Amino acid sequence: MTRLITRLYPRAWRDRYGAELSDLIDETGMTPRVAIDVARGAAREWTNQARLGLAGGGSVVIGPAWRHPQMWAAMALIILAPTAAFVLLSILAYQLGATWLITFMEPVTRWMQTVRIIDLMLVVSPVIALLIAAAPLVRVELHREATGREAVVGVRLKAANVLIGLLALFIAVLLVGHILAESVLRVGA
Amino acid sequence: MADIQATIDPGLMLMISLAAGPKHGHAMLLDVERFAGVRLGPGTLYGALSRLEASGHVEPLPAEGRRRPYRLTGAGKAALEQRLGSLQRAVATGLARVSA
Repeated sequence: MTRLITRLYPRAWRDRYGAELSDLIDETGMTPRVAIDVARGAAREWTNQARLGLAGGGSVVIGPAWRHPQMWAAMALIILAPTAAFVLLSILAYQLGATWLITFMEPVTRWMQTVRIIDLMLVVSPVIALLIAAAPLVRVELHREATGREAVVGVRLKAANVLIGLLALFIAVLLVGHILAESVLRVGA
Repeated sequence: MADIQATIDPGLMLMISLAAGPKHGHAMLLDVERFAGVRLGPGTLYGALSRLEASGHVEPLPAEGRRRPYRLTGAGKAALEQRLGSLQRAVATGLARVSA
């Protein structure tokens, strides 16, 4: 727990003070109050680092997901999976004529229409999954050059993140298209 | 206690603590609690300590096992004297005006 909470700090700060802070937390004991204090301290150090970068001090890198792209891809997949499964089953049942699936899908669809939060999550989760999958692909570095302040945006391609991101985007577009088409049909009727 | 905690300057408390001699984090925490009646959190303490070190007011000493003591520098002592002097004048003025 102590190691986990000290990981909230910027890497440079953690390298210098992390071990001492961990020892002090071990000595004082980890209570909710200590956890809040340490989290607040971490937020302050991130703010200081960003301000230093913008003011011309050491450069600051903003890319919290940069170091663990696979973990973020896995999180995105977990969030996307229920919606992806629902969309796939719906296409099989209603578009490709797998009638045996309709008997299963009908009650599920009816239940979802009564629990609006599930319905909403189904639409929102591809967007969240897209953001989570794409987060490790981008980082911003703020630093000062002779010509003035600079923000350098770094972009990279990680296969798992790109694939899951594209899948999330595809599902989001399908859902939005489906909702719009249904609305048009309803207005037309 | 909550009101005192909100108005306390952790950096000043640490400098006062180190004015008595070098100390590591936990010793500073206990000392501040003893003389000011305020228990600083570990995040607050190390945040203040890192800023004091960056400003050259305190410096680390060689580690003693897993603990690293810190001491007040000459610049830190001068800054502390100046700060306490201005606080003393403010307190004296405030008390005089309140009792007038």
